[in-house]
Amino acid sequence: MMTEMLDCDSVMRQLWDFLDGELTPDREKAIRAHLAVCNRCHPQHDFEQSFLRALSASRREPLRPDAIKARVLAVLRAEGFAA
Amino acid sequence: MYSQPWCDALNQGPLKRLIRKVIGAPSDLRTPDERFRDEALPHLPAVTRFAFSLTRDESDAEDLVQETYLRAFRAWDQFVQGSECRAWLFTICRHTYFRTSHREQRVVAYEDAELEALGAAALHTAAQADGLDDVFSRTEVMEAIRAAVDALPDPFREVVVLVDLEEQSYEDAARVLEIPKGTVRSRLFRGRRLLQERLIEHARDAGFARATQADVTEEET
Repeated sequence: MMTEMLDCDSVMRQLWDFLDGELTPDREKAIRAHLAVCNRCHPQHDFEQSFLRALSASRREPLRPDAIKARVLAVLRAEGFAA
Repeated sequence: MYSQPWCDALNQGPLKRLIRKVIGAPSDLRTPDERFRDEALPHLPAVTRFAFSLTRDESDAEDLVQETYLRAFRAWDQFVQGSECRAWLFTICRHTYFRTSHREQRVVAYEDAELEALGAAALHTAAQADGLDDVFSRTEVMEAIRAAVDALPDPFREVVVLVDLEEQSYEDAARVLEIPKGTVRSRLFRGRRLLQERLIEHARDAGFARATQADVTEEET
């Protein structure tokens, strides 16, 4: 089956869906094919990808994970939790 | 809690070990409490992060996590085995938060997800012009990203936290937030665009932008 041809506007509109893995395999393939040859969309893709990576890396971890776990377990045990 | 005589008998020490040795410890031999331990408790760090994103206060977040797990434990028999336990816990956490904080869930006017995506493309063009293509790979922006996420209006922050920080699919985020998948998409794209606007502005203020050709020419003359 031939890969669908997309213009830059369509690719820009679906770039985040593409990066989030939310497109159908056919549409994903068409966007990948466009990005491979488009000097305009490829930098846009890299920019959005670096944004999403930085956003994901900014995640804060809980400050007191052991204390929270102990507190939750104490409450559950008082409720009858036995594992 | 949740114990049944046959299940308890099978799970008694030596008998349990013998059965597991012979038939390989199938998951259906676990008691409900053991399943809760194996399936719900490992998500404690994720639920704590999500609770903090709602309360934005460590102490309130810990109270919310405790209440979330208590409610989850009491409702464990309603959890559909095999479904996304983390999304289920996020849903309980969010319900508990809105119930106990008496906060109103904000209604957002209709947004067009694709216009937001095109808006982001325009932001990239502006960032390129300022030499800020690589702004997000700089470690200095990490704190600015956290501050920008905290400053997002609630409806956009919720979806950004669920999809971008907690790696939930649009479908799971829609289930947690009890909104259509298309609304998750439009709020997510709007939230991302707002973040990018704020971060590019921050980068300019912090002096990360390189001088444009026009500035250089002006200085030379």
